Amino acid sequence: MTELVEEFYDEPTDYVEDEALGQIVEAMWASYFAHTEFLLPAFDPHDIEGDILCASVTISGARPGIVTVSVERDLASPLAAALLQEDGELEDEDIYDSLGEVANIVGGNIKALVPDAGPLGLPVVATAKPLHGASDRLAARMDANWQGRWLTFEVWLAGGSENSEG
Amino acid sequence: MRALVVDDSRAMRKIIAGALRKLGYETVEAADGAEALKVLESGPLPDLATVDWNMPVMDGLTFVTQVRANRDYRALTLMMVTTEAEHGQIVRALAAGAHEYLIKPFTVESLEEKLSLLGLLPEGAQA
Repeated sequence: MTELVEEFYDEPTDYVEDEALGQIVEAMWASYFAHTEFLLPAFDPHDIEGDILCASVTISGARPGIVTVSVERDLASPLAAALLQEDGELEDEDIYDSLGEVANIVGGNIKALVPDAGPLGLPVVATAKPLHGASDRLAARMDANWQGRWLTFEVWLAGGSENSEG
Repeated sequence: MRALVVDDSRAMRKIIAGALRKLGYETVEAADGAEALKVLESGPLPDLATVDWNMPVMDGLTFVTQVRANRDYRALTLMMVTTEAEHGQIVRALAAGAHEYLIKPFTVESLEEKLSLLGLLPEGAQA
C-alpha cells in the first residue's frame, strides 16, 4: 500500500529538472552547433513574442509527456543552416526537419530519465505549441538566446495530482 | 570503404554522412529501414550501416533484425546511431544484432572512436 501511495504522489520534477534539460541542450549544442555563436541560457523565463515554430516529440509509457523546442520564426532558418552547415536559402522542408531533429535529440535523452518510458514519437513541427493534458506539469524549462533571438525548451510530463486526489 | 546512413532526418543523414566522408568513406543514404533494405538488395554490400531507431515505415530495430536474419548480409557491420539512450534499449539493439551503439548527440571524435573499435576506421583517418 505504501508503495502505491508513493507512486501516486511522485511528481514530474522527481525525474526531470531544469539542470538535466540544460545539460542535454548544452551537449547537443557542443556536438552540432559548436562552430556557431554560443547559446546563452537565460536566468529568467522569456516568453517568445510574435510568430514561432515549435517542434515536439511525445514520450509514451507510464509517465507520458511531450518535449518541445520553440523558436522565433525568423530564427528557424539560420538554426537549420547552422545544423546543416549550409549557406544560403533553405527550403521549408529542411527547416522543419532540422528543428524536428533538435526536438528528437533532446526528447530522446529526456526519455532516458523517465521511468518505464515507452517509444518516442516522431517529431512534429507546427506554428504553435501543442496543447497539454489537464494533468500535465511543466517538469523543466530552458530559455536561451542565440544570435540575439530566443529559443525555449520545455518538458511536460503527466502529473500525479489527479491521482493523489483520488 | 562504403557506408549506408539510415535516418529519417535529412539533417542527421547529412551530419553523419559528412563525418563519414571526412574519414574517407563513400556514403549512400536511406530514409527508413525499408528503403535501406532496397539499397542492400541492389548492392554492392556496404562495410557499415549507421541506423537510427525511430523512423516511419520500418524502424531501426526491425531493420537490424531483418539484416541479421539474411546470411547474405553477414559481412555488414551495424551501428545504431539514435537518441534512444536507455540501457534497456541498448541491450535490445545489441541482442538483435547491432555491433555498436552511439547515442545522439555525438561528437565526430566519438564516432571515430566507435569505428576504431570496430576496425572500420579507414587507413589514414585519425581516431
